[in-house]
Parts: sequence; C-alpha cells; structure tokens
Amino acid sequence: MSSAAETLAFLREVRLFKDIATPELSALGESLRERPLRRGQVLCREGDPGEEMFIVRRGSFVISKPVTGRVEQVLARIGPGDFFGEMSLFDRAPRSATIQADSDATLLALDREALRRITEQSPRAAAAFFYALVQVFIERLRASGDLVAEVTRWGLEATGLDVDTR
Amino acid sequence: MRETEASPPPPRRAKLELLVRHDGDDGFDVREIGSATAFVRFRPQRVPDDSWELVEMASRAAGRRTFVLKNTVTDRFLLLTEPEKFLWEQMDGRASLQEIATAYVLRYGAFDFDIVPALMRKLQRAQLLTLMPSSRLRQALARNRRRPVVKAIETGLTALERINVSSRNVQRAFAAAYRWGGFLLFTRLGVVASALLAVAGLLAGVKLWQGGGDVVAGFEGRGLQGFLSVKLLFLVTLAAHQIVHGLALVHYRRRVREFGFTFLHGFVPTFYVDVTDIFMASRRARVVTAVSGAAVHLLLGSLWFVLAVYLPLGSFAQAFAAASGMIQWQAFVIALYPFCFIEMDGYHVLVDLLGMPTLKQEAMGWAGSLLRLRAPRRFGRQEALWAFYVGLSAVSVVGFVAFNVVLLLHARS
Repeated sequence: MSSAAETLAFLREVRLFKDIATPELSALGESLRERPLRRGQVLCREGDPGEEMFIVRRGSFVISKPVTGRVEQVLARIGPGDFFGEMSLFDRAPRSATIQADSDATLLALDREALRRITEQSPRAAAAFFYALVQVFIERLRASGDLVAEVTRWGLEATGLDVDTR
Repeated sequence: MRETEASPPPPRRAKLELLVRHDGDDGFDVREIGSATAFVRFRPQRVPDDSWELVEMASRAAGRRTFVLKNTVTDRFLLLTEPEKFLWEQMDGRASLQEIATAYVLRYGAFDFDIVPALMRKLQRAQLLTLMPSSRLRQALARNRRRPVVKAIETGLTALERINVSSRNVQRAFAAAYRWGGFLLFTRLGVVASALLAVAGLLAGVKLWQGGGDVVAGFEGRGLQGFLSVKLLFLVTLAAHQIVHGLALVHYRRRVREFGFTFLHGFVPTFYVDVTDIFMASRRARVVTAVSGAAVHLLLGSLWFVLAVYLPLGSFAQAFAAASGMIQWQAFVIALYPFCFIEMDGYHVLVDLLGMPTLKQEAMGWAGSLLRLRAPRRFGRQEALWAFYVGLSAVSVVGFVAFNVVLLLHARS
C-alpha cells in the first residue's frame, strides 16, 4: 500500500491532474482506491457494467476488442500515468472494450461518487480535470481515426484490391 | 551539376496488432500481423473460363512471346508477357499467392516481388479477377442463400472453415522429434528396415487376400462401426504423414514454418505442414521430403497386414486390421502415383523432375479445348506430354475404381 505522500507525488505526474492544486489533489488522492492485479488478469470485459475509471500506477495493460473466436483487436497498450474506463463513468453504458494486465500492475480507481464530490467542492479543480480529459479525448479520437485508416489499408493490401478504378 | 534525386522510401506495409487468447487460462499473445502475411495467403480467382480468351500475339521482337487476354463480357483487352500469362493460369482460386510464387520460382528460377501485385491490379481493372467464392459448392450455396436451409449449410461450412488449429512456432518441436529418434527414418538402416517391413506387409497382404471373405467376415453386422473406426484411425495417421514431411525438412536443415489442422473447403478434415522452405534445398531433398511422408502409409499398412495375419480369423479385430492396412496402402499409392488428377506428393515430384509446375492445369486446359474442338493443330512434345498425363490419369482413375469394386466383390464372395 502506498503512503498519501507517494500517491500525491504520483498524481502530480499524471497528465489528467497536472493543473489541480495540491490541497484538492490530496483530497482526490484520498478518494482513490488502490487495486492490484497480477499479470494476465482481466480487469473487465466488453459488455461488463462500469462504475469507475482507472489510473495506471504501475505495470502495463492491453485494451482490446473481440473480433472472432480467441482473437481480439488491440486498441491500445497503456502504462503508468495513463487512464481508462472514463467512458462508462460518464455515459453509464457497459464497458466498450476488454482490459487485461500485461504485467503485474496496480491501478487507482476513481468512482462516480468521488468525481461528483470533487466537482461540487472544487469547481476550479473539476474544470482543470475536465479540460485535461477533453485534450486526451481529442488525441484518442485522432488515434481512432488513424487506426481505422490503418485497418482499411491493411484490408486493401491483404487482398490486393485495386479501388482506384472501381 | 544536377543532384541525383533520392528515391522515396518504400511505403510502409499496414500492420494489425491482434491479441490471441490461450485456451483454458487468462494468458494471451499479442501478434503483429502485416498485410503481406495475409496477401501471400490470398487465393486470386480469375473469372469463369467462358468469360475470357487468350491468344498469342505475333511479335517482331525476336524470342519474346506476348499474349492478348480478352474479357469477353466487357470487351476489355490486356497485353500479357509470358511470365504474366503463366501467373494468370495459376489464378484458379485454389492456389495461394505463396504457392503461385513458388511455381513461378520453379519455372523461371527467380522471382520479381512486384510482378504479382502489378498483374493483379491490371486484371482487376479489366474485371478479370472475381471475388466470388472459389469452390463450386460455395458458389452454388451463395446463389441460393435466400433459402434458410442453404443459408444454414453455408454458415456451417464457414464456421468449419474457420476452424484452424495451427502453430507457426513448431520448428523446435520438430527438431526435438528428429533428435529423439526421427533421424532414424533417414538413415540407411531405417530405409532397409522399412523395405523389409514393406516386403513382410506384401506377403501378409497376399495371404490375407487368399483368405478373402473369411478375413472381412468380422465386419458382418457391424459394417458401419468398422467403416467409421477405420476411417477415424486413418485420419489420425494423416498427421503422421505430415509430421514425417516436417522431419525431412529438419533432416535437410530447413525450417518448418507451420503445422496444423483445418477443414479444407469447410468439410474435408486435413492436417497440413508448411514445407515451402524445402524449395531452397536440392532436388534430392525435395524428392525425399515428398516420398518420406507417403512412405508412412506404406509402413503403417504393412504393420496392419502383418498384425492381421496373426489375429483370429473372422474376428472384428482382424477385419479392422486388414481394412486399415488396405486403406493405408491405397493412401500410399494415391500419394505417390502422379497420374490421378490429384496434386499430391508424387505429382509434385513429377513436375519438379519435368520442370513443369503447372502440368495438370495446362494438360486439362488442352484436353478441354480438344473436346470443344478448339485445340491448336500443333502436336509437339509438350502436347504429347499433356495427352499422356490426361490419358494415363483417366485410365488410372477408372482402374482404381475398378480395383475397389473387385475388392468389395472379392470380400463378399
């Protein structure tokens, strides 16, 4: 278990919290729950209900989406300081992908109630948090566009299909 | 002074990152699959034969043959070089691009990596390649998929086709199997022992033949059970056939790229081993690799025959052993005998020796045009070879069927 000071020092390095002042960040740190996972352990599968988002404290994770049988498309690989699971936190929809530890890992979980408290108690910290979140969303949206283009190119190259003249 | 323009770097091939789960636990592998990997397994299929025509064009350039390929549906024309014509003839929907490239190397002794994609682009623009399913059965199913029963069959076949239990990380396993005794098959002692066993099997087979009806009496009342058990065991021995091919590769210090099991066309259970690396070895190595796999059936058949002689006359066990021996020997003959319209080990040895990797396709095409009275009048050495192949294959197939009919009648008498 990490001390409050260690957690605070770690959160300072997380992009999502970089513009949040120390007192509010300390309060946020107290509301985070630490969750250890061993290598290969599945945190959640696509379709599972989701109530919290996670920040990777230690280790790495693979985010994937089932394609066929035992095969899944890797959407992203993430490491310390990255976060995921925020979509279910906001839209209350089931998890959109499967998340599995690629090594022994530790996560910090932030649930809906803790986020609501921060928003109510410190609108300035909440604004900084959401601003950083939107920036990451934009990056991920761009990455998704790149992935779609890559997959399309893969299909065309794999079949040798010539669409120029069709 | 004019600066030389730097050539642009080759475009990066697209890659997919796929997570493949292990069976039974949470373990997984993440594999990067390049589009080139899928491309070499792609099986291009030309449009139906009545939709195109190919003629040789008289060329003023000495020694260079060119061909005109016409799409008779769209009236579009393409000019093909001789190597492009060769590739076009391979695009029958059955051969993968990897196999086509191998045939190209055997024919021309070298390979140009751009020729296949460039030709495919040309053919697609002229609408000469189809994306229809390659098998005629699948085409018929696709045409009638509105009917629920047909749709269900098609879905079932597609699901079976997707079953592919294979590994590309098998070289170490094959090398270990070779070290732990597999090498004996490729020693002089192993060859002599195999020959002696084959002779013993032949003598036992003759003795069983003389026993005739008494031997197969053990199947009486249990015909279906006997048939299914013999077939099932035979299926397992097909794996041994492929494994010995793999051991031959190790013997010649080549790499076994893949070993697996799949349903060919969705309903033919098949074990397979990727032996393409043997093309980098000598012709002797290729011949030994081809023959060694088939020899498994000879040895197993001989063992079954010898065993059958010692089992109680008229028992189920004896009938099972005799039938297993017969099916193994037939598999041996079919695998090695090149004249039966099937491209198995013996056929590959023959085309390798002749230097004609597309013998069957060319011979069948020639025979087809002969039947349609469209064959060219010229009858040279090549046409004689095609006629010999088609004629002998037809006679052999008839002979094979007749032999099995005689076998059944003999068993029933």
